[in-house]
Amino acid sequence: MPRNRGFSLVETLVALAILAIVITTTIAMFAERTRRLREASETILAFQALSNEAEYWRREPFTQIDKADNQTFKSDLAILAPMAPFTTDVKVETPRSDVRNVTLTIHWAKREAHLGIARADTGGSGLW
Amino acid sequence: MVTRRRARGYTMMEIAITLALFGVFLFIIVTMTSEMRRNEKKWPVNFFAHPEVGSVLARMRRDIYDSTARPDNFETYSSSPLTLIVYTINNDGTAETIVWDFTTPGEAHRKAFKATLLSSEWMARGLPLFMATAEPMPSGQDAIRVRAVDQEKKLAIDELIVPRPHA
Repeated sequence: MPRNRGFSLVETLVALAILAIVITTTIAMFAERTRRLREASETILAFQALSNEAEYWRREPFTQIDKADNQTFKSDLAILAPMAPFTTDVKVETPRSDVRNVTLTIHWAKREAHLGIARADTGGSGLW
Repeated sequence: MVTRRRARGYTMMEIAITLALFGVFLFIIVTMTSEMRRNEKKWPVNFFAHPEVGSVLARMRRDIYDSTARPDNFETYSSSPLTLIVYTINNDGTAETIVWDFTTPGEAHRKAFKATLLSSEWMARGLPLFMATAEPMPSGQDAIRVRAVDQEKKLAIDELIVPRPHA
């Protein structure tokens, strides 16, 4: 005749421990997935804004590029609204008198995205 | 002799523990779901993963890069944020007028005309609401600003496309 008794305390505790591990792992995976999706969305929005800003800096007159009061973002940054608060930064380096390296940066949360363009003084006012 | 199995119910403690565990499960699921919904509400849809959206953007880029003018009117079409009209140049050097029509929600229609004759038509469905407006650049040239909003009206695509210089 089979012995008809319930689970012992040890059996119950082991089962609960396994359940706790499964739940913890699932939550950790979910949190990591959410974080990566958020970071991917942030990166996509940041680089749309940076590439639009680069279009402005490609067409800025060469003599105006390194003026201190000119080194701000010029494009509409409405696409970055979900990332608020964010800050922007323009850095201009002069490796040669006829070359300017412009680095555009967006800072948000604890992340940042950069896009650099090089401008050469071709003597003209436009891109070519 | 008749034997009877003792059939007793669960104790109060067993039921309490079971309900407590079930409560923990419910709490976790509700928390995870609300976090997911909060995240979905905050961020626009990532349309760059959609092939149809990619096709529209790629074709628009080419049309705008190669455009030589942006007329206000063509045939029955008038330029507006939902209708982009550009003159462009084909591979064989002939001119073409391209009309991008976004007036039907969720659809994009690209119509190409040689003179006033419709030479080709292409359309895409399942799209966000696109808009194309002129944006003045520091060089004095106009860029075309292509934007798209998702169903929650969140800005998901914002791209400046500047026509290339024509010699």
